[in-house]
Amino acid sequence: MIIEAAETQLQKLFGLTAEQVQRVLDTATRGEQGKKQGVFCDIYFQAGTAQGLTFDQGVLKNTSSSTTSGAGVRVVVGDKTGYSHTGHVNVTNLLQCAKVARAITEHASGIANSGLNVDLDAANSSGQHNLYPILNSPVDIALQEKIDLLRKIDKEVRLYDARIQNVTVSVACESYTIIIVNSLEQIFVDLRPLVRISVSCLAEENGRKETGSSGGGGRYEFSVLAEDNMWQEHAHIAAKMAIDLLASTPAPAGVMDVVLGSGWPGVLIHEAVGHGLEGDFNRMGTSAFSSLMGEAVASPLVTVIDDGTMQDRRGSLNFDDEGTATGRTVLIENGVLKNYLQDKKNAGLMKSGVTGNGRRQDYRYAPIPRMTNTYMAGGESTPEEIIASVKYGLYAANFGGGQVDITNGNFTFSAVGAYLIENGKITRTVKGATLIGNGPKALHNVTMVGNDLSLDRGIGTCGKAGQGVPVGVGMPTIRINGVTVGGSQ
Amino acid sequence: MTSSKNTMIPIAEFVIKEGKRLGATECDVRISYSNSVDTGVRLGEVETLEGANSRSLQFEAYVGKKSASTSTSDLRRPALTELVRNTIAMASASEEDPFAGLPEAKYLAKKIPDLGLTDDAIAKITTEEKIQIALAAEAAARGYDERITNSRGASFTDWSGSTVYANSHGFIGTYSSTHCSISAAVVASAGDQMQVGGWSSGALSYGKLESPEQVGITAAKRALRMLGAKKVKSQVVPVVFDPLMAAQLLAQFVGATAGSHVYRNSSFLAGKIDQMVASEAVTIIDDPLMIGGLGSRPYDGEGMPALKRTLVEDGKLNTYLLSSYSARKLSTTPNSGSTGNLYFAPGKLTPEEIIASVGNGLYLTSVSGPGFNVVTGDYSRGASGLWIENGELTFPVEGITIAGNMLEMFANIDAIGNDLIFRSSTVSPTIKIASMMVAGD
Repeated sequence: MIIEAAETQLQKLFGLTAEQVQRVLDTATRGEQGKKQGVFCDIYFQAGTAQGLTFDQGVLKNTSSSTTSGAGVRVVVGDKTGYSHTGHVNVTNLLQCAKVARAITEHASGIANSGLNVDLDAANSSGQHNLYPILNSPVDIALQEKIDLLRKIDKEVRLYDARIQNVTVSVACESYTIIIVNSLEQIFVDLRPLVRISVSCLAEENGRKETGSSGGGGRYEFSVLAEDNMWQEHAHIAAKMAIDLLASTPAPAGVMDVVLGSGWPGVLIHEAVGHGLEGDFNRMGTSAFSSLMGEAVASPLVTVIDDGTMQDRRGSLNFDDEGTATGRTVLIENGVLKNYLQDKKNAGLMKSGVTGNGRRQDYRYAPIPRMTNTYMAGGESTPEEIIASVKYGLYAANFGGGQVDITNGNFTFSAVGAYLIENGKITRTVKGATLIGNGPKALHNVTMVGNDLSLDRGIGTCGKAGQGVPVGVGMPTIRINGVTVGGSQ
Repeated sequence: MTSSKNTMIPIAEFVIKEGKRLGATECDVRISYSNSVDTGVRLGEVETLEGANSRSLQFEAYVGKKSASTSTSDLRRPALTELVRNTIAMASASEEDPFAGLPEAKYLAKKIPDLGLTDDAIAKITTEEKIQIALAAEAAARGYDERITNSRGASFTDWSGSTVYANSHGFIGTYSSTHCSISAAVVASAGDQMQVGGWSSGALSYGKLESPEQVGITAAKRALRMLGAKKVKSQVVPVVFDPLMAAQLLAQFVGATAGSHVYRNSSFLAGKIDQMVASEAVTIIDDPLMIGGLGSRPYDGEGMPALKRTLVEDGKLNTYLLSSYSARKLSTTPNSGSTGNLYFAPGKLTPEEIIASVGNGLYLTSVSGPGFNVVTGDYSRGASGLWIENGELTFPVEGITIAGNMLEMFANIDAIGNDLIFRSSTVSPTIKIASMMVAGD
């Protein structure tokens, strides 16, 4: 059934027959069966549209649409990869890609039969998820509906406070059909919708300016974004952030106890441990976590999970960009390191199971191990208890992005405004500051974990090796002792 | 490349003609073609070979003051007619922006200089030679010191491309460029500490690249010098930015001169024209016309001429970067909203002299995290580098942050080095900021 649908889609979207695609696979693997030869090939087809509208300073400033139709041919032999793509899909161009990609096999002498040692039964369970069924493609919704939503948000932010000066609101919608065929005679097809709104604003008072922002979305219908409680929440968060910051004082500098809010501050987990547990770095032995499997890398309060199977989520996929069904992988359980995130190539080389984490930005890139939705599991404490427990420290509820050096484990993440806690009470707003720590060490200092786990609102894009992919992060409110805070005072 | 240029021009002319025929009052089109090959090695063996031809077309249509833009990689004529039709329909369904439109014809470039942006030698390098170059870089890095214990790999990457821009005022421009680079990243270990060090050399022509051995050895040295890195106490000290870090800082500062930030009043440099925004030591130049420059271009993205300009002169802000849209918003004339080759004008001191002038401070070699706010100028980033004691580089430091406000930081630049090298499109010599907050233990 799936195969039939996929073949119909190949014909409809790219004008290709199953026989023509097989010829490309045969050319890439030199006509031999992939399994026998130790040469693996897959072709990743992508077709669809991304659309964006931006409302700035009260007028519709940008209306844009980008159509993608392309394919990437990958050949894998052992740890070696050949790749070539085309933005003009036809048999001639695909055969040319196959020839370019298979050139890698000329450099693979001595490692024959060491191709992809993946447990195919485990990898072949695709199709069991249907995480983002939609009736209407978000791209097809009339422009006027989108413009109306942007205008409503713009108005709502301005109404929040007279000090709000500028508002920028945008909506992004995309819908792609993905078809993956490989030399193991597998074929997969998926329809991936994604929507997002972003709100930012600037507040000004007595010459002082501050900004606030919010946003969210997921793999669901545009109508969900347009529900009143959804867009109003973003409008209020952005406006409140900008207004609160008008009264902020410089952040302190130095080591202190920090309370992180629930939701988006989970970017801490993404940077501090998530990247360091991606299979490629660990196969190569270049991650700070490379030799720590089975060891305690965090306080026993900490359990970290990567879950690509959450309904409607921005980071979710029915199967990854190699056709492996996504899963729920426990990375850290009660403080102990349990698993890495794997794509086919690295799982095969490390002789471990695939986890459904082989992802790519688009057809122009070969897949690499990536996160999906990564979060810390909830604990026992209430958020109020956690704040009340701190004598002097920082409560950071809003974050920007983060970054990590995989090899030495040092990570930074950036608070966009925070609150000072004195004697268990929030006393004043302080400016943003960078927080810095070391991956295998920082989470040992988690002393309280809240019972208020939440995922972020669906705004994150993760960058690795020049490829951006949509991800989710999440966390309950937590307390970490002894964090270096990079304030200016 | 000539052949693809010859194909692109008729396509661009066709799209503009279709735009006018189907009801656009103004329109423009950008087309780009490129070929790239990435040759990667790791631990002495070939690891990746990637090659691709890419092409894309972006069309923007104006219907009065309404506009829409679309992009595609399908350049067949019937598909392009359909794209033009859809774009105009989208524009008609959007709303008026009184500032929308192409640059007025009088602002468009009248001639397109040849800036020597291509090197035919790159296309003649064989796959086997590329592999040998990457292998040589990695081998030099791994062989440099026994504490280099692992490798993230080395690569040789080459790229060639052409671009065409045309609009309904009759402008049509095209140029080609090439690029190649060698890069390497290796891991140094001591005890249970690992540090990665990387280096790359990129140029428009093959002959201007550093040798593979130089690239490898620099990568190894950068990894080795960080072994044993530790935190320091929180303190206010001078910070010396190495050329790469200074270039990053420069890009952030100049980003705040973008017209789009200024007309929104969302830049710490808004309202500061003709005012001192940096110390007198600071002069910032944008020169898109350098022959063979990595950021050079004969005209900008809207077809306006590329001109050398001094953005900041002896500390005084001369101009913002104004696209035609930003200029209309600010009721002034456009001067191009993007930069070409951007740099701090070099000073007289050697980097060694600058370091020697610091009794106790940080020599910054790496920053991390997004911590810069263009509205307020507030700056707070993760940092690592080498500690300076009594004018000399001593031990490596990591896990610290540096913080300040961009206006104060630039007012406190009290030394600019003479070591300016055009290794990228935004470059800087070594600079020193007299005092910043360092947070550590």
